[in-house]
Amino acid sequence: MEFLLEPFTYSYMVKAIWVSALVGATCAFLSSYLMLKGWSLMGDALAHAIIPGVALAYLLGLPYAAGAFFAGILAALSMNIVKRKTRLREDTVIGLVFTTFFAIGLLLVSINPTSVNIQGIILGNILAISNEDALQVVIISFICLLVLVLKWRDLMAVFFDENHARALGLSVQPLQILFFTLLSAATVAALQTVGACLVIAMVVTPGATAYILTDRFNRLIVIAVLLGSITSAVGAYTSFFLNANPGGLIVTLQTLLFIAAFFFAPRHGLWAKHRATKMILKGNSHG
Amino acid sequence: MSKNSIQLENISVTYPNGHHALTGVTASIEAGSICGLVGVNGAGKSTLFKAIMGFVKPSTGRVTISGMAVKQALKQNLVCYVPQTEEVDWNFPVLVEDVVMMGRYGHMGFLRHPSKADHEAVTAALERTNMTEFRKRQIGELSGGQKKRVFVARALAQGGQIILLDEPFTGIDIKTEDALIILFRSLAAEGRLILVSTHNLGSVPSFCDDVMLINRTLLAHGPVETVFTQENLVKAFGGMLRHHQLVGADLHDDEDKRSITVLSDDERPLVFYGETGGQKITKHGNKE
Repeated sequence: MEFLLEPFTYSYMVKAIWVSALVGATCAFLSSYLMLKGWSLMGDALAHAIIPGVALAYLLGLPYAAGAFFAGILAALSMNIVKRKTRLREDTVIGLVFTTFFAIGLLLVSINPTSVNIQGIILGNILAISNEDALQVVIISFICLLVLVLKWRDLMAVFFDENHARALGLSVQPLQILFFTLLSAATVAALQTVGACLVIAMVVTPGATAYILTDRFNRLIVIAVLLGSITSAVGAYTSFFLNANPGGLIVTLQTLLFIAAFFFAPRHGLWAKHRATKMILKGNSHG
Repeated sequence: MSKNSIQLENISVTYPNGHHALTGVTASIEAGSICGLVGVNGAGKSTLFKAIMGFVKPSTGRVTISGMAVKQALKQNLVCYVPQTEEVDWNFPVLVEDVVMMGRYGHMGFLRHPSKADHEAVTAALERTNMTEFRKRQIGELSGGQKKRVFVARALAQGGQIILLDEPFTGIDIKTEDALIILFRSLAAEGRLILVSTHNLGSVPSFCDDVMLINRTLLAHGPVETVFTQENLVKAFGGMLRHHQLVGADLHDDEDKRSITVLSDDERPLVFYGETGGQKITKHGNKE
């Protein structure tokens, strides 16, 4: 017992656990929307596009979150413009823009090798997060969650049927911009916990798992947020014993839950479908 | 409040890529009737809808809805839109009742928290469209006709007086089509204005009071009996129609001069019967 409680005796572990949970919840909330539009790769793109912003922020001595956030918005906007002004497909545009930003980021880092720990950004390590960085992450997450809790219905209406949302008098474009702003902000936060490579999992997997488990959007959000926060907390906690990278653990846990849902979900799981087919076949042979 | 109406004054729409979608459309549509908006694909039906809902800004002209600017009319929930089936993501995790509830958002506060009145409006709209038994279904589990009805129910819940329907009869069977027409008729009789875009010619005479024929501009507008003629339709559709004429020996054994003309695209055909191949419109065509 004492052994299991040991992580809680270290303040850096306690901090890592609850900050991870908070970030996990925020990303999971956003994942509920992201996967519905086929925009899942946006999260990945944003995470990589952020790198030059972080490098520049370090270079100029600004808070890294500001730089990251600015780069994220810039990337989202450029994707939007390229998509609207050309006939290129969405995946091409995403691929084009994010690699460009990532390349610029690497270039900046290689020119100033001492300024940034690029390894830290790409892999992330919540266990080593400084108090100032933790504070930034917490503020970002709280603001995101607050906005989402207040406006989730409006965003759902916009994601479901843009024209109808417009006919209702909702401000569709500002809401879309709001969503991408939140996504950029959450990506910045997640960078610290799981790193740029694994941010994509944080903003996709919990939503995808919840999608298999329910047909109602409000429940989907609740399930996704629970999955996101619990896996993140447990991942950070377990990393203490395994002496492993918390990001890797968090995402592995999320994937395990997805696999469980894939097989055992009550209605849309493989097992349930198999049983339903068997019932029908049985019914036919009797009738 | 003035009577529900749509006033279009010299509407032209040019898209940013230079495409002139509509030129100089002037028309006045009044409440209490069903108006069919008829034209080939690409004739500008959707563009006109978008202009009415304020999604595209006309390069010239002005849209007035019940005496108000479009934006103000939208704020008052006057205008409802029923999308084409293909425009909707049927895998979206929402139940029938959730979709209908979205129609009420314009009536709710900042948090969009539904009140008792909102729940009642949803229940009433589901009852009216015969969708009550399906209210807990995920929308993807519905049949073609039920899918249409969900969005009509959403429009009813919204309480709008002007209902725009985009190709409501595509992909549904005749029985469902007839049921929808009865519903639209009763909605119009209550003083709503119903504008239906369609390329399904055969169903127009059986449920529209008025018809607007468009092809990049307004070709004709007026009561079905006078406007929906063979001559006007050929003008609107050009070579896009299948045109079958039965005349003389094919049709009669005697010297009767009357002929049957069948116009169809891919849906219900439109049948003309008379001496010059076009005075009388038969009210019911058949699907092949």
